[in-house]
Amino acid sequence: MTGFETRAIHFDGQSAEPRDIRLQLDPARRSLTGPGVNWPLDEVREVPDQGGADLLILRRADDAVQRLILPDRSLAAQLPRRTAPVPAVQRRQIWIWAAAAVASVALIVFVLVPKMADQLAVFIPPEGERALGEVTLSQIRSALDESGTQSVGFCTAPAGLAALQRMEARLAAAMPEGQPLSVHVLDHKMVNAFALPGGYVVFFRGLIDEAGSPEEVAAVFAHEIGHVVSRDPTRHALRSAGSIGVLGLVFGDFAGGALVLFLAERLIDAQYSQSAEAAADAFAADLLLAAGLPPDALAEMFERFRRLGGDDEGIMAHFMAHPRLGDRIAAARTATPPDFAATPLLNDDEWRALKAICG
Amino acid sequence: MQDRPRNPWARASGTVETAPADEPVKPADPSAPAQDTLQGAFVGRGRPLFWLALRTGGLTVLTLGFYRFWMKTRLRRWYWSSIRIGGVPLEYVGDPLEKLLGFLFAVVILAFYIGVVNLLLMFASFALLQGNVAAYLLSFVGVIPLWFYAQYRARRYVLARTRWRGLRFGLEPGAWGYAARALGHWLLTLLSLGLLWPRMTFKLEQYRTDRTFFGDRRLHQGGGWTMLFPALKWIALALLLGLVATGALGSGAGGLSFLLFLLAGILMLYGLAYYRVETLVRLTATKTLDGVGLRLAASPRKVLRIHLVGYLLSGLGIALPASVLGALFVFVQSAETLADMGLDSLPWAGLDRWVLVLLGVALYFSIFLIWSALTHALITMPLTRHYAQGLQLTGSGGLAAIRQRPRDEHIEAEGFAEALDVGASL
Repeated sequence: MTGFETRAIHFDGQSAEPRDIRLQLDPARRSLTGPGVNWPLDEVREVPDQGGADLLILRRADDAVQRLILPDRSLAAQLPRRTAPVPAVQRRQIWIWAAAAVASVALIVFVLVPKMADQLAVFIPPEGERALGEVTLSQIRSALDESGTQSVGFCTAPAGLAALQRMEARLAAAMPEGQPLSVHVLDHKMVNAFALPGGYVVFFRGLIDEAGSPEEVAAVFAHEIGHVVSRDPTRHALRSAGSIGVLGLVFGDFAGGALVLFLAERLIDAQYSQSAEAAADAFAADLLLAAGLPPDALAEMFERFRRLGGDDEGIMAHFMAHPRLGDRIAAARTATPPDFAATPLLNDDEWRALKAICG
Repeated sequence: MQDRPRNPWARASGTVETAPADEPVKPADPSAPAQDTLQGAFVGRGRPLFWLALRTGGLTVLTLGFYRFWMKTRLRRWYWSSIRIGGVPLEYVGDPLEKLLGFLFAVVILAFYIGVVNLLLMFASFALLQGNVAAYLLSFVGVIPLWFYAQYRARRYVLARTRWRGLRFGLEPGAWGYAARALGHWLLTLLSLGLLWPRMTFKLEQYRTDRTFFGDRRLHQGGGWTMLFPALKWIALALLLGLVATGALGSGAGGLSFLLFLLAGILMLYGLAYYRVETLVRLTATKTLDGVGLRLAASPRKVLRIHLVGYLLSGLGIALPASVLGALFVFVQSAETLADMGLDSLPWAGLDRWVLVLLGVALYFSIFLIWSALTHALITMPLTRHYAQGLQLTGSGGLAAIRQRPRDEHIEAEGFAEALDVGASL
């Protein structure tokens, strides 16, 4: 049987000297042979992703450095394992390091950063906390704007603001001194409210639209004050400062990564811990009682959220996400003593003004 | 084995007989008799590169970024194999998995730095200065030495995975030394208002070159830093022109000054290209490898033209998908406005919003992909080709004595560089 024969350049991987040889395909021994070359056919691989389509460059799967350069590709069809993968070095290491990387990121994002944030949140001075809240608020306002060009505006109808201040004063009177509050309404349809570092409490227009009574708004207000007092938002802001950079590092900033980063950020941001929510509920119940307001207004607001839950857009995520909403409703109901007599919060005119705060 | 060509033997032997052994223009013939000078060539074409970049980029998006290690490897293999010196292509033998490994390694280290240090900086900055500018600034400054370090490590990895004539290249360890020198030289350059820029260019190149190996032989950077001074001439002229323009503005000749500023700007652009190319040419000409010399012929005008034309054409290339995306965006916005106004009974209001969102996301990513594939085919490739074609090895007889060097395992690959590309967006 005749063998295929071609000219080839052999680099032995030991010296830079090219050796011009005649290379033969020996079908009987299933090998490529030539002076100083004896390559079993099953070990021959083509070096992939060649920029020039003219040469055929061959290597041995079991030898990292030897190369054969053939002047044309006519031999290609006769190499049975030409495109088979070359076993890479040390695959096990990949898994070890992958596990180490996942563990280290998890440790940092879920343990170290939260622990440090909890510690540091206590030490941050009031002015610093306020600055943090201010920066976060302006970030949230521009993030919420759908056109992406400006910020969501504050609602500032004077009569509405006066009603809101009245509500604030009523709650503040029942609180210990020294906790500054600053309340805003954002002109956005989301049914939501949140607290930020430095005493910022922010309502969305959607929540005020949906609320059935001033007491319900006050109940949410009291709940958010609960977060402010326990410094939950400060912890939270410090946590995301640490975690988001780490996640950006993992996913890279190439197009695909941006999306994942966005989703991951959402996940981190979604909620405080269940115990933080329960504490804020309990704080709200006490505060409402002390202010002469019915704590079960919180339960009514929760039930409202639950009814709205069918429409998933923009319902207070950190209320809805908890499976134990029913428990929380029950807890808010039982927080009202049987002989409790509420003092009215806003009159009808004031309530109408609050509803119309966004004009 | 069944689909063998009818008569491969005759064809193969025919090739051997008809191929003139000493045809210099045919780069496919690596065995051209060893004249003393080896000429560089570039055989890749733009079209296959465009598709390779587009395909691998698409896979990168679909795998949420994880294919990028494979993408980088495959593109490098393509570029390296397209460059031929004396007819023999370079080869890139980097492994995507080792890049992934290196990246994971860098994540372990950097996650700590970014998580904890950033948190502390953010705290300190708000607690002491009531703002986050200081934190961003400090965390940026903290990354600069790491950035130079990563640059050197990445070069070491790439050289360790580059081969020519079957021999490995290599770069000695020395990344921290490089980072320290780079910082020092940058400081000097800034303090001297740019006058010591050529000195930095030379000294850093010398540091890298003198640690670079081909096989078992060390490269040597000859010459001195003052030889790079002439490379500044067009920049100096542009600055001078800018000064004259400022003078003209001061003396009330507004029109003239505008013209001069424009001229100075264009000249500056050319000056920067000239500096880049001219320093490269001069530094290459003074490199030696044990009696083997290097020469580079490159034209600053051509380099500038490749950039300008390349960016212009790439911009045109993404104009269409970008305008479709813009139109879609306006469409969604107006649909929402109408829905808010209660006018959602319009026929297209029923169109699933998710379909539009998905379409928008797909378009958004395809703009990125097309842009990156186009800049590969229209800028990176032509530039590489220009430099490869201008490269010459003189006294190549000395190559015969060079022997292989051991493999540099370099476990972290270019992980830090990979991770810090991202870190820059902190």
